[in-house]
Amino acid sequence: MAAHYSSPEITFHPEHTGTTKRIWRTFWVLSVLTILELAIGLLIYNIHKGENPNHTLVLGFKGMVCILTLAKAYYIVSVFMHLGDEVRNLIMTIVVPLCLFIWFIAAFLWDGNSWKTLRNRYNGTTPIEKVVPAAKEKGAKD
Amino acid sequence: MSTAAVQQGTKWWSGGRSPFNASYGKVMMWYFLMSDAFTFGAFLISYGTIRFSVNNWADPNHVFNSFPFAGHMNLPLAFVSLMTFILIASSVTMVLAVHEGHNMNRKGVEKYMILTIIGGLAFLSCQAWEWTHLLTGEHIALLSDGTLSVLPTTVKANPWGTALPHEAIAAALQTTPHDQLASIAATLQHGGEVHNVAAMSNADLIKFIESSDIHASNTGPIAFGGYFFGITGFHGFHVFSGVVINIVMLTKTRLGHFDERGHYEMIEKAGLYWHFVDLVWVFVFLCFYLI
Amino acid sequence: MSNTVALHEADVHGVHEVHHEHHHHETFISKYVFSQDHKMIARQFLITGMIWAIIGGFFSVLFRLQLGYPNSTFPWLEDILGHWAKGGKINPEFYYALVTMHGTILVFFVLTAGLSGTFANFLIPLQIGARDMASPMLNMLSYWFFFLASVIMFSSLFVQTGPASGGWTIYPPLSALGDASTGSKIGMDLWLVSMAMFIVSSLLGGLNYISTILNMRTKGMSMTRMPLTIWALFFTAVLGVLSFPVLLSGAILLLFDRNLGTSFFLSDIVVNGKILPNEGGSAILFQHLFWFLGHPEVYIILLPAMGMSSEILSVNSRKPIFGYMAMVGSLFAIAILAFLVWAHHMFVTGLNPFLGAFFVLLTLLIAVPSAIKVFNWLTTLWRANIRFTPAMLFAIGFVSLFISGGLTGIFLGNSALDIHLHDTYFVVAHFHIVMGVASFFGMFAGVYHWFPKMFGRFLNNTLAYIHFWVTIVGAYLIFWPMHYEGLAGMPRRYYDYSLWESFKMFGGLNEFISFVAMIVFATQLLFVFNFFYSIFKGRKVTSLNPWGANTLEWTTPLRPGHGNWPGEIPEVHRGAYDYGKDGREFIPQTEPVGENESHH
Repeated sequence: MAAHYSSPEITFHPEHTGTTKRIWRTFWVLSVLTILELAIGLLIYNIHKGENPNHTLVLGFKGMVCILTLAKAYYIVSVFMHLGDEVRNLIMTIVVPLCLFIWFIAAFLWDGNSWKTLRNRYNGTTPIEKVVPAAKEKGAKD
Repeated sequence: MSTAAVQQGTKWWSGGRSPFNASYGKVMMWYFLMSDAFTFGAFLISYGTIRFSVNNWADPNHVFNSFPFAGHMNLPLAFVSLMTFILIASSVTMVLAVHEGHNMNRKGVEKYMILTIIGGLAFLSCQAWEWTHLLTGEHIALLSDGTLSVLPTTVKANPWGTALPHEAIAAALQTTPHDQLASIAATLQHGGEVHNVAAMSNADLIKFIESSDIHASNTGPIAFGGYFFGITGFHGFHVFSGVVINIVMLTKTRLGHFDERGHYEMIEKAGLYWHFVDLVWVFVFLCFYLI
Repeated sequence: MSNTVALHEADVHGVHEVHHEHHHHETFISKYVFSQDHKMIARQFLITGMIWAIIGGFFSVLFRLQLGYPNSTFPWLEDILGHWAKGGKINPEFYYALVTMHGTILVFFVLTAGLSGTFANFLIPLQIGARDMASPMLNMLSYWFFFLASVIMFSSLFVQTGPASGGWTIYPPLSALGDASTGSKIGMDLWLVSMAMFIVSSLLGGLNYISTILNMRTKGMSMTRMPLTIWALFFTAVLGVLSFPVLLSGAILLLFDRNLGTSFFLSDIVVNGKILPNEGGSAILFQHLFWFLGHPEVYIILLPAMGMSSEILSVNSRKPIFGYMAMVGSLFAIAILAFLVWAHHMFVTGLNPFLGAFFVLLTLLIAVPSAIKVFNWLTTLWRANIRFTPAMLFAIGFVSLFISGGLTGIFLGNSALDIHLHDTYFVVAHFHIVMGVASFFGMFAGVYHWFPKMFGRFLNNTLAYIHFWVTIVGAYLIFWPMHYEGLAGMPRRYYDYSLWESFKMFGGLNEFISFVAMIVFATQLLFVFNFFYSIFKGRKVTSLNPWGANTLEWTTPLRPGHGNWPGEIPEVHRGAYDYGKDGREFIPQTEPVGENESHH
């Protein structure tokens, strides 16, 4: 295989001989973030159990969980996958295409929400005979 | 870092070298993972879109509230936190294996690879338990023909709709046929005296069912099961293939292939894949269990 | 300043002598079948693609027969199609299968695998100065996964219930329910499995193309010195790597819906007045997933043609390409925008109009980089000393078709106009001209231009000129009238228009289109004949650089072996477009910059 290349791809060997301290610190960071997520998850559970749950509050907490998740993803990619130690060029070619997810997520969820609106507005306006395969479900279980 | 000095003035893009200071194999692995991120992204975004398009969705705190050997205790999020910690721990052992590889320490690599494989297998076992629990678990739900029935969580049935008020349960029991009543009663007599439910009359069954504090709900969107099993299954498949790759890498390490080669880059590439699996779980955990 | 370079025996056979470490016992199998040489893999892709093109093209002739002559019967049809054409008339189910397979074959198997599979494999290592792809092994697997996908798709033509017939876009619920039509049975499963294999192939190929272009460039081949072909193939690979996985997700979910009873894309389905148990999914979700791939796919098809045409236009104009950086920038802009506009295929699905407005805006933005490219091509041709080689004619034809087809895209990108034009022949005309025929022209240009490098012989010029003129005139005669039919509301995918009072008036026009289509198809067979004849009997190439081009592939021996250059890989000192500079016709990339050389 070596005959295939006119020159080596790797210009210098980065020093990875540091201690494992950084790895363990990241482990604790990830654990704390996960515990925080779980705490918020349980908080949401308790809000839901109460009478008249405050939906704005729940939404806010869910947003917080999302941010914590992104923080976790950052630590995994940057430290565990060593992307933070790579040269800037590589980091950019990975991170920039992932920005496509922004519109990917936004447009899909937006349209999903719009189907809900349409369904709620027009459901029940077309009369159809209701036949439900309840027996089939039971049969499948047996 | 000392690398900064080397980077200064290096003409990265002028050809004859990798602009990333990385071998093609590592570059390929990164772009493969990016591509796979779009596969998973498409799954999760589809799931999100469907969730946005319906009025109710199964509440994860109700669906995932059990723990092995804990009986019917209500332990929301407990089991999935265990799974998450297993995966994070196996990620740490993986990165330690990569670290030992950089130090050309074969024994260290072997030790941490074994730990990583154990972590992966533990995660898969947990997932197997959770799937079994959902597929065989029985929950009382109101079918759309107005009768009550016990339903598992499958790709064709979802018993996790909105909760039914007591009056509705009582009314529905009246129209429920005998065999469905019997199976409901059978799920209720855990630990207590055993009745021969099949022999009981409808009225007795209804009385028995109403005497125990039963929870029933409407059926939820069937799409829930498909997305849950589909996405966690696809992730589980990745974990499984990651375990297989790690076993291959462990074997190659033991045979001394990497010492011969002079570097442990294969371990690094396997590590990238393994961390990616962990990364995906972080998002699966978010989408299915937390929000 | 002469184009011919004196040939030494060593130039022709040098590779075999110097690179004996590369060919350990070359058997027929290792040289022609399981070859890891990128040039052989390219030829495998090209020939497989051509076979598919003949099949897909023949299907279009068959259904054009039905559309052009709806009241006639052709007894020979029953001979070749059996029960699909009882009494010499194609039956409606089979008509849909033909249309579906025509689209699938030409979009995926010919214009994706056949086009970028061929030219990315062939040109990337040669033009950036590499011995082979980054991973020759994965490259070989890429072809064999494509071959596997081909075999599965081909076998679906012969199953009892026929191949998939839900359109190449396989929208559920038609594709999700086996009972929906005969083509939705096993044929549809085979389609999906074949496509999954195809996606694996395109992923293996794409990853290789990207990492080769980034990591394997020879000394001095900076990104801004790369030929535009390489830039285009690079963005094509990026598009494929990021968008095909989304179709994979959709295909997997659809397979589950078909075989495991899930409800990803199904909800509130009523069959014969009865509701199916599936609930909660959405058929439109599949369209989103499909078009998230589907739109980038259009550019996966188009970008290689753009890149090759840019190169060929510049070489044969003997002028530098106008605005190299603008060309690269516009390729980049098109690649980004390709990911942001998918829902413009879905304006009439009940898409939220406000959301639709964003998609209209993003869609119309594509006109900007497209116009930059068109003007740069035209200014490259402006006052040039043009050599009308067959490749050049096809490249110019590409520009013409890209303009004609691109302009109608602006009509269709407007959500309000699209309500009228959606699913009419206007759409058929638009995408056939802009991505079908135009990309074919790019592909033909590439084949005519690089055939000497691929096979060491020239294609026959007379046949090539006949091929070009019949094809360009024929393409316009076929697709131009379809715009009028579409504007008049004639819907696509109908089996027989003579049943509608409002479309009866197009009977004569449809017959005319079908007639021309047959002539054009026959001309393509002429090309196929020319291709295979010339491989063995064509005029031999006698100079290393027959077109007088600057790029690196012409510095290799006439028939380069595995490893491409017998000695060291040449170093690059300049961009690929130094034509007509300082009174010299062309300056190869390997020539160091002279002291008194002017700056362009």
